[in-house]
Amino acid sequence: MKNFFKTAFFSLLVISGFWGFSNFGIPQIKPAPPPVEEKLDLGAMTMDQFIALGGKIFNGKGTCTLCHNAMGRAPMLDKVGANAEERMKDARYKGEAKTVQEYIHESLVKPSAYVVAGFGKSGSNDTESPMPDVSGGGIGLNEAELAAVIAYLQDSSGSEVTVEIPQMDAAPAEGAAPVEEAALKTPEEVIVKYGCGMCHKVADQVGALGPDLTKVGKSKSKDYLRQAILDPEAVIAQGFTGGMMPPTFGEQMKAKELEMLVNYMAGLK
Amino acid sequence: MNMTKKRLIPRLLQMALVVVAVYFTFILVFDVLLGQLIPKSLLTMYMVFVIAGVVMVFTFTEQGAQELAGPIKALVEDPSRKMVRNVVFVIVPLLAGYYTYSSMLPSFEAPVELRTIHPAPPNKFKAYGKSFNLTTLENPYRKFEKEDPVKFKELVKEGGNVYIQNCQYCHGDRLDGKGPYASGLNPTPLNFQDVGTIAQLQESFLFWRISTGGPGLPAEAAPWISSMPVWQNFLTEDEIWKVILFLYDYTGRRPRSWANE
Amino acid sequence: MLTRNMKITFGALMLVILAMFMLPDFMPAVHASEAAAAEATSAAAPASAAASDAAAEPVANAITFPPAPKLTEADYPTIPGVNARVMVWLVAQLHLWFGAFVVAVPMFVFIIEVIGMVTRDERYDNMAYEFIKVSITAYSLTAILGGLLSFGLILFYPDLFKYLAMIFKESMFAYALLFFAESAVLYIYYYGWHWLQGGNKKWIHLTFGLLLNAVGLQLMFLANAWTTFMMSPAAVDAAGVFNGNTWEAIHNFLWNPINIHRVVANVAYGGSVVGAYAAFKFLSAQKKEERAHYDWVGYNANFIAISALLPLPFAGYYLTAEMYAYSQQMGITLMGGVFAWIFIIQAVLIGALFLSANYYLWCGMGRSDGAYRYNPRIKYIAAVLVLAFLVWFTPHTLVLTNSELKDLGGPYHQILGVFGIMPAKNTAVNFLLTFTFLSFVFYRRANKVATVSWAAAGNAAQIALFTVGLINIVILGVYYGYFTNTVYKVAASIPQVLTTLTIIITSLVIDAFMYKGAKDVAPLHWGRMPARSQYALFLLAVSFTWLMGLMGYVRSGIRQHWHVSNIFRDGSPDAFTPGLGYAASVVSVGTIIFMAMVIFVFWLSTISGKHVVAKGYWKEQA
Repeated sequence: MKNFFKTAFFSLLVISGFWGFSNFGIPQIKPAPPPVEEKLDLGAMTMDQFIALGGKIFNGKGTCTLCHNAMGRAPMLDKVGANAEERMKDARYKGEAKTVQEYIHESLVKPSAYVVAGFGKSGSNDTESPMPDVSGGGIGLNEAELAAVIAYLQDSSGSEVTVEIPQMDAAPAEGAAPVEEAALKTPEEVIVKYGCGMCHKVADQVGALGPDLTKVGKSKSKDYLRQAILDPEAVIAQGFTGGMMPPTFGEQMKAKELEMLVNYMAGLK
Repeated sequence: MNMTKKRLIPRLLQMALVVVAVYFTFILVFDVLLGQLIPKSLLTMYMVFVIAGVVMVFTFTEQGAQELAGPIKALVEDPSRKMVRNVVFVIVPLLAGYYTYSSMLPSFEAPVELRTIHPAPPNKFKAYGKSFNLTTLENPYRKFEKEDPVKFKELVKEGGNVYIQNCQYCHGDRLDGKGPYASGLNPTPLNFQDVGTIAQLQESFLFWRISTGGPGLPAEAAPWISSMPVWQNFLTEDEIWKVILFLYDYTGRRPRSWANE
Repeated sequence: MLTRNMKITFGALMLVILAMFMLPDFMPAVHASEAAAAEATSAAAPASAAASDAAAEPVANAITFPPAPKLTEADYPTIPGVNARVMVWLVAQLHLWFGAFVVAVPMFVFIIEVIGMVTRDERYDNMAYEFIKVSITAYSLTAILGGLLSFGLILFYPDLFKYLAMIFKESMFAYALLFFAESAVLYIYYYGWHWLQGGNKKWIHLTFGLLLNAVGLQLMFLANAWTTFMMSPAAVDAAGVFNGNTWEAIHNFLWNPINIHRVVANVAYGGSVVGAYAAFKFLSAQKKEERAHYDWVGYNANFIAISALLPLPFAGYYLTAEMYAYSQQMGITLMGGVFAWIFIIQAVLIGALFLSANYYLWCGMGRSDGAYRYNPRIKYIAAVLVLAFLVWFTPHTLVLTNSELKDLGGPYHQILGVFGIMPAKNTAVNFLLTFTFLSFVFYRRANKVATVSWAAAGNAAQIALFTVGLINIVILGVYYGYFTNTVYKVAASIPQVLTTLTIIITSLVIDAFMYKGAKDVAPLHWGRMPARSQYALFLLAVSFTWLMGLMGYVRSGIRQHWHVSNIFRDGSPDAFTPGLGYAASVVSVGTIIFMAMVIFVFWLSTISGKHVVAKGYWKEQA
């Protein structure tokens, strides 16, 4: 029995040593929580925002930069636009793309269609790509996200962006019909959601393309403001050109949101 | 089994001396001779393994183990050593207490941060409203080094002026990272004289680092503190390229290039 | 002698062939032929997808399989106060520890039995019997824990279990049936030990031993298939729809790498646990002969553990390389982020393994008086081991206080940074292996004097071999590590490993000839071992157990928030990857439970031999 306790004590001592080292001897890295699938609000996006979204996916959810980086795991994509033209003519090309956009799309979902020399799976003689299909499996980009990535790649490689922003209902890849969103609660949220601050100076945002709205209530009535949102071209403020502001807010905003926004602006004095 | 043989230095003391010697060797080699201090956290772990190794060597024979344990046993059991025993039994708990106290004492030291050693530069970056590709970017003035040495000298001199007007406050007038403001910065400004800094880098990397400054460091390198300004807001593109010429010229280093490797 | 050797070889060969036929027997016939077809075609065409699709067609037409379910938190039953993941984690790990032990012991019992038969030394036979005796109690614990694990999965992860059962229904059934075979063969092997002795009977007994191993390994391979399927799924499409090809699902990308890694590791692990058993018995032994016996058993167990430990790092490299090959994403996850520091902990643990194994060998030199002449050399081996270990341990990213950071002028450390990267560590590991082997060589030679005429030349050759080999390892490490592109940095490890293996094998061959008929310097006293050497054996077993638990966490953790990598998402609240400290706590608790159970098993074996005569208790029989 004595040995039972002696050996048990010794074992405990060793285990607590290892435990202590793992807990206090090394820095503890807090694991990131599992990624949440993001909902896209494509309707209100400009092409620049859409490209930026593509960049975000490229660097984040798409995990592209794990390999497409300077360490040479995968080809760099900084000239993909120019390269695509040549590759589609290459004898080794197995895909069906006709345009740069199609080529990039194909290389995202069927990476083996063209494998850049030297980057194939080992032993496959550059016929098979080690890259996963980014529309499935662990990365799981939907068509809208793919389009954003393509737009980003076209933009960043200096070629013309030919992608069109997909319609809203392309975003949720599957599942039930999109849930009717509840109306926003504060005017600040409305301003953020509809991106007013991109062009206007209002509510802590400092856009400079459109008129400054920080004291708009002083000179403008509620009716004027309402009209300016619903039909931006009706009256163009002095010193600004027409055709800049999207005419679609009337379809997008809820009546409650619109009134809240108008009341808020009327109060800015 | 030769227990009667008297050793010049008792085994226990020998062991302690070996451990202490190794400890100070580490300090001497790293902190003094090489000038790169050994981090305390690492030294602690190193010493744990060194002690384990030393104890193993000193105890793997029966005789060695007994010689080692002998003095300790005598200290606890020998009636004639009562005085020493009492002293040790008072001092050891006090030392343990002091250690616990000092390690629990709150300090003003900021918590230890983990840093990524190699912040990979981006392949492309935006400066001066356009996009630069780091892999192909070259110093437009480097070619004059061979083609037109007189003009090159002129360019270096202009770069030197830019340096003295802008950079030396932190990086020092001898480019050793010891400018007047250097002591206020943590991490300290880079020492360009050191072989581990600009000599390891391409000119395009320097251009990126200078033009985008501390805020331009990639997110993956976080936590990363750099107080270097975003120089594209203050210097022209040409001035940066000239200052790079100056950095290499003054330190006598060559920029790294892929062509030579 | 020759004919007997031939008989043994031939018998073993026949049985191996027999064993190879067994796995398909337990598969439905249609799958067996598919398997052959799929394998044959996949060799010809790199894209085996077409071949397997064609092969799967008849099945797929009959049944269409559902895709992997998309789960929410509500799909995971809970019991208040029970953390489902920790519960399943612990039980699975305990099951794995016992399973590894139970699979490993018959492997070396079989080898020891063969050695006994060849040398006609009964001590080997007795030792083999004793080992299998220990594993019998562990066997029932393995089964109990396995049952607990399946209950845990059904209870807490019903949808996952259902999905896996849908794909692996045949092999799960075969698994259950194989347990009957395993039990039957094990019991015959164990209870028939003393019955099947001598002549042909011994041959029959040995056959059962081989059969036991064949069944045991197949059990493990099947279970490995389920595990590796979760890591590198095969035979399913992106939505998780199964194509009906069971063999393809079993033979997934990481199956064989894991199989190899686990077989080697299991032998090392089994050896270390048996070593702890011998140590325990040694410490409790009252009589001198008993001590001598368990000292000898402990020595053999340690020898087994070390022999399997030497190739283990290479099996590990192979597995990691295959993980990278399967998915770079998985490989990078393994080396960075949450797991960035795990290989530092692993370094500490493996260092503990090597140091304690070496220490045991050095202590063993005390068994004979002839070995004293080798004692002064030990300190140099120790110095190299510790130094190699320090290099291996040095992290790539240093933990610096702010004042240190300021002193260094940034996070770069010019000297230590060099040791932080892979080539330095590879070099260090090869040094560890070579010098551990050197310890062993010294131990073997310590009490012997070679009598062959060319002993001096042989010695010189060996010294040259070690010197050249070590220089080669350093040059490879330094050159490839620091003067070439990243691509070649890892490639250097292969010639390094080959150098180490060359040193070991060549040296063993020279030794075998040189010490043929060598004479002993002084008598060998088995049992003349200090108690602390036995604690080294315990340290070996405990470190090994803890290390296995930790690596189990990583293997499972690199799936991140997926039940089945990239196919079947974990929707439970526990989908997050636990941090290292948390994992270390779970592993520690598991190790404590395991060690308690194991020491209990050891203790059982000591009381089974005790007989108390209770006088006057029983009625006197007329």
